[in-house]
Amino acid sequence: MSIPVLICDDSSFARKQVKRALPPGWEVSVEFAGNGEEGLAAIREGKGEVVFLDLTMPVMDGYQVLETIKAEDLPSVVIVISGDIQPEAVSRVKKMGALEFIKKPVDQAQLTKVLSDFGLYAE
Amino acid sequence: MSDYQLDDELRDALREVTNVAMGRAADLLARLLDTYVVLPIPVVNLLERSELNMALSSLRSVSSVSAVCQGFVGSRISGEALLIFNDTSFADIAELTSYSGDVTPEIELELLMDIANILIGACLKGLAEQLDLTFSQGQPVLLGQHVNIEDLVRNSSSGWQRALTVEIPYRLEGHSVDCDLLLLFTEDSINVLENKIHYLME
Repeated sequence: MSIPVLICDDSSFARKQVKRALPPGWEVSVEFAGNGEEGLAAIREGKGEVVFLDLTMPVMDGYQVLETIKAEDLPSVVIVISGDIQPEAVSRVKKMGALEFIKKPVDQAQLTKVLSDFGLYAE
Repeated sequence: MSDYQLDDELRDALREVTNVAMGRAADLLARLLDTYVVLPIPVVNLLERSELNMALSSLRSVSSVSAVCQGFVGSRISGEALLIFNDTSFADIAELTSYSGDVTPEIELELLMDIANILIGACLKGLAEQLDLTFSQGQPVLLGQHVNIEDLVRNSSSGWQRALTVEIPYRLEGHSVDCDLLLLFTEDSINVLENKIHYLME
């Protein structure tokens, strides 16, 4: 059974970077979304059990996605991957229910560690 | 080269690496001023010199600005960084830095130079690291204090005709501080940037 993983970022460059940083051999089916609205639509279709979420996006940003996931109790665990590394941004997203914050550009070793720490991936 | 169009892949990738670089710069500024810096989506454009004022969209309606310019060169890329402040920002910045005296033009200049050093330095360093480039920076130069945008654009005297521009409008949450960091890359730099980005995408 592969895990439905959603990569939500407005930049295709960033989406590719995240996809490439996923641990090799992790059994997942990857879906992409270009903004928060598309991301939520995919989550509601069950395509985002694990969500890698950017914060700064047009149409609907990452904060709004986190709010909606919480308000509607959607079945997703969210890992925020953002260039906004201000302490305020990190604490805000954690308060809003994000599992973890990873700074951009994403690094495979760190991403793998976060996934194993939370039991989402085992080597 | 004059009919060169910016391709979407380059625009997207530049926006993304700039996003990461400006995030680091904003983090330093946020720690210095103990406030939250609202991060925008950077705007990437290919502009004629005569269109430069269009790149400064967030400051278009502002009557009085002050600005610093700093050149950079390295790895076959050259360009300049412009940091432009709405003059109404300085009272708030002085307050945030706990400066208690009169905000004279001399103090404004000092604040402008300090923040330019932080933002431009961190932003260029972030770009260079991600794209595996090495930049050396020139001395920051005051372009004008309490001038309007049109005069400022006219005064910036470097010789380029067309440039790749990246505009980053910073705002401080809960304060009336507006500034625009504008990175200009010469036309000759575009190919080099493109190659670097293709390499990263492989």
